[in-house]
Amino acid sequence: MSANPAVQTSRAPGAAFILKKALVSAFVALVLFSLMIGVRTEAGPQGQLVYWTRFGDLAAMVGAVFGGSIIIELLRQWWGPVDTVKVVPASVQRGLSLAGRLLPPVLLVFTFLVPVLFYNERYILDLAILVLTYVMLGWGLNVVVGLAGLLDLGYVAFYAVGAYSYALLATNFGLSFWICLPLAGILAAFWGVLLGFPVLRLRGDYLAIVTLAFGEIIRLVLINWQSLTGGPNGVTGIPRPTLFGIPLSPADDGLAALLGIEFSPTHRIVFLFYIILALALLTNWVTIRLRRLPIGRAWEALREDEVACRALGINTTTTKLTAFATGAMFGGFAGAFFATRQGFISPESFTFHESALVLAIVVLGGMGSQLGVALAALTMIGGFELFRGLDQYRMLVFGMAMVLLMIWRPRGLIGHRAPTVFLKHSQAISSDLVKEGHG
Amino acid sequence: MTAPLLAIRSLRAAYGKIEALKGVDLDIKAGEIVALIGANGAGKSTLMMTIFGRPRARAGRIEFDGQDITGVPTHEIARLRIAQSPEGRRIFPRMTVAENLQMGADATDSSEADRASGLERVFALFPRLKERMTQRGGTLSGGEQQMLAIGRALMSRPRLLMLDEPSLGLAPLIARQIFDAIKTLNRQDGLTVLIVEQNANHALKLAHRGYVMVNGLITLSGTGSELLQRPEIRAAYLEGGRRE
Repeated sequence: MSANPAVQTSRAPGAAFILKKALVSAFVALVLFSLMIGVRTEAGPQGQLVYWTRFGDLAAMVGAVFGGSIIIELLRQWWGPVDTVKVVPASVQRGLSLAGRLLPPVLLVFTFLVPVLFYNERYILDLAILVLTYVMLGWGLNVVVGLAGLLDLGYVAFYAVGAYSYALLATNFGLSFWICLPLAGILAAFWGVLLGFPVLRLRGDYLAIVTLAFGEIIRLVLINWQSLTGGPNGVTGIPRPTLFGIPLSPADDGLAALLGIEFSPTHRIVFLFYIILALALLTNWVTIRLRRLPIGRAWEALREDEVACRALGINTTTTKLTAFATGAMFGGFAGAFFATRQGFISPESFTFHESALVLAIVVLGGMGSQLGVALAALTMIGGFELFRGLDQYRMLVFGMAMVLLMIWRPRGLIGHRAPTVFLKHSQAISSDLVKEGHG
Repeated sequence: MTAPLLAIRSLRAAYGKIEALKGVDLDIKAGEIVALIGANGAGKSTLMMTIFGRPRARAGRIEFDGQDITGVPTHEIARLRIAQSPEGRRIFPRMTVAENLQMGADATDSSEADRASGLERVFALFPRLKERMTQRGGTLSGGEQQMLAIGRALMSRPRLLMLDEPSLGLAPLIARQIFDAIKTLNRQDGLTVLIVEQNANHALKLAHRGYVMVNGLITLSGTGSELLQRPEIRAAYLEGGRRE
């Protein structure tokens, strides 16, 4: 920053400007907070109005705004104007691109080793399973939102369909997890198509509203169809998955007894961990393959420009329906896994909050980037746990972190979109250089 | 005289209650460049879109190579190898040039060899696109984007190419390059072209025949040079109503 002091001083506003700005902010804070904090009113014992003043708190708040405003302004000057192009040295760029290429394999190997490294730490294993579940949900929703550009706020519906499919098929007909898993996926995909039909002509906000309603409808049906779903009581006693028919239980025919080792409940946790890891990797692999096929390209083209798609003779109906169905299918798989892990499901697990969380993961990850979604799931779910010690401030800190992240990286953690057609050499161009919109 | 490649008979189309086409007749013979000129809102783009099935024709008939395509869904019309470069270019901004071109071939059943030869043909016509192959569509200049839009349409090896305002928003020099490319396509490969333009002078010089559209009706037709000579055309579309 001190490299060019002449330019810096001529461009930077002086201390008077900063003070003036801070004073204005402090005044606004004073006006706002004088009623919110300065005066406290309450109903007295006889119903009369009791009020007292808290000028000390008010002064502290206004002072904080004043100081904060000065700090932000100084930071802004230190950072320089927003539109200055920051030239990153070539060596750093090379290092970054190498790190970028190494990150996925390293992350994958590390994930495979998690049960080995943390075998005795049940909490970390459980958290890892949770993170992987959300990675899978994120990758599933990524097909719909990230690739096809269809804003789906009711993704949890397919998660619920998958979970209830497995729970009901297993408890009523005694079908095993491995038979129910594809069935759950198929049923969820079917519901995806069912949702797809009425919303074919909708885009953007309108689509979001209808999908939001769809998610709620599924949840309300689950609550009210007591004879089938057990209503708010949910479904209990959902069987655990088996390894080719061998249960992971302390019984005589259990896996531990067959292998001649001592039974430990951790075996099942590790088994569940590898199931969800395999499911998530399947989702990733299928998505990557599909992206290179005409159908995947059509999804992305649909996100870019629907009119142009039609002009090129792309069948937008089937393109949208396949996107909904594919995304829903992965949601269904994840749901079946959720049911078998929990052993108990109820409509409470499938609220709008879940849809919002998964959508946040996809947006934060960078809409369409597989690695970004995985990192975002880790950040969101892991971060959520990390801030657990902050008690009631957890959501506040978390929200602030998200806002900062979106300011710092408005296109998500990984905004770069990897091309799928390679002819000779590929050349990365930062997504920051590309404006959204119609050319 | 051979039967026309595209024959449109008393075609009507509307957006809600607003009638945009009020009975249009138009013929395009194989190997011809036909220009459709007219003022804003005359229905030129609507005619092109209606050939493609959106909006649907309310009445009348569209025949392509003797086959009635009036009620055929849009994606199947593209399969008959009618290609369109829509108004405003509408390339896919976040996808690379190579991906944009692939999209053009995706809708029709084309083999790998077809794709490769299609790419070669496009790159021969627009060498600039080859240089920019791995760039995102959105980073191209306006002229390059127009080249990409035409190239993308060519990837389906069309029998009829429909271009909606290819010179829109382009510098005159770039517009001339685009028109030259269209001419090359027509003279070398015998490609049939329907070109919708406001730039009447350029379009009529390029075209074998032209149609003038006013308020959803064809009011004049003739060869390009004939239309260029007509005083009403000159006054309305070429000299901006300027009297000398």
